[in-house]
Amino acid sequence: MRRLIITDSCVGCTRCIPYCPSGAISIGKDRKAHIDRYKCIECAVCFNNANCPVSAIELEELGWPRSVREVFATVYKEHKETNVPGRGTEEMKTNDVTGRFKPGEIGFSIDMGRPGVGVDLKDAEKVTMALARLGVEFEPLNPLTFLMSDKRTGKLRDDVLNERVHSCIPEFKIREDQFPQVFEALQKVSKEINTVFSPGLCVKTNPDGTVPILRYLDQKKIFYRPNGKTNVGLGKPAAKF
Amino acid sequence: MTHTLHRSGSVETLSIDYPVLVIAAQGINSKNSAPKFRKALEIILKHNPVNFGDMKTGNYFRKGLKPVLSNTRENSIVHGVFTNRKDLEECLDELRNADLGLSVVVSGLFSEVWDSLKKIGLNPHSLNISLGVWGKKELLPEQTILDITTMCGHHCVSPLLVKKMLSDIKRDKISVEGAARELAKPCVCGVFNTLRAERLLEEMMART
Repeated sequence: MRRLIITDSCVGCTRCIPYCPSGAISIGKDRKAHIDRYKCIECAVCFNNANCPVSAIELEELGWPRSVREVFATVYKEHKETNVPGRGTEEMKTNDVTGRFKPGEIGFSIDMGRPGVGVDLKDAEKVTMALARLGVEFEPLNPLTFLMSDKRTGKLRDDVLNERVHSCIPEFKIREDQFPQVFEALQKVSKEINTVFSPGLCVKTNPDGTVPILRYLDQKKIFYRPNGKTNVGLGKPAAKF
Repeated sequence: MTHTLHRSGSVETLSIDYPVLVIAAQGINSKNSAPKFRKALEIILKHNPVNFGDMKTGNYFRKGLKPVLSNTRENSIVHGVFTNRKDLEECLDELRNADLGLSVVVSGLFSEVWDSLKKIGLNPHSLNISLGVWGKKELLPEQTILDITTMCGHHCVSPLLVKKMLSDIKRDKISVEGAARELAKPCVCGVFNTLRAERLLEEMMART
């Protein structure tokens, strides 16, 4: 684990500033670049892309609990428990092999802090606790679930609550008939947080090609994007449904 | 890990945006999959992707062709971005014939993607549907900028970099094509569509 710093060799050229997805870098009174430690989510985009002319951006050892920022920011690093790189799980991407989402079930992924705003884990906890009150079971292999001190209540560990991450994704699965209740709870909690989230649904298509949840969303005039992801079913061994 | 789910924008610009990803189910069919990922990338490369990459190595614009191709692993997730349905269909057809056993996921307009699948005899197996953005939306940058930055689902492409590129284009410091490539670099997975970025940058330039 490492933390980003800008050393005294900075010449204040400002080249790194626009690369920061969190807007955490600014020029100080000393005419050198400085990183706002609260906003910085330790993604290293500046380090990897800005080509600092004097190599003033460096990586230092990063201790707990700040290290969770890096875990949720560094795309190519796999989570040791899942061997999956990124911030979530394989979700529907491998559903043709895992059979994780069956007809009649809906997988939810709540991309907290996306697009691009970031999220305090305190706010993530508000969402996980609101969902836990409905009795949802969080995906055990999701990295955020590992930060829960109580999976039944959605409570996160106290020592990570002051951390901010680029995004994290509460994931869980429900029956189709539970959708209205979960939808309402998410609407309510979306007004209580100081960030944004992007909810996503994972579903298996029916053998006749129909997708019941899309019919429901249309009937209720609930917005969904015209674009999304389609698993084309080439994975083997094929899951049995 | 919904990195190609929440791409925003008009239907018109989304109609040139078809990222494909290939992934193994860890613990089920991931063993000895590294050469299969390389094969998948080789197939993707034959069909004119505007960007490609491996989540474990990085994208073409930052890492180059060889490192991406030669470093596939059992937990790779490889990507290619297509800008028209013909290339998409031909790539999917070849991936099917290669029978790699890996899962293949296509992002894009559902109506267009499903039509393409039907044309080549494939069916949608599972879907990932975006319900848009909820919460404190006043914290978001302008929609035109989001249409570019959401092409990196991990949001490694900064809104400030889009503004900088626009400013540099206006001052003739960089071409539109060069700006799109620079914007693609922080997107590790290689799912940032440079052609769509060019179109969006041109639209933004025309408005200012």
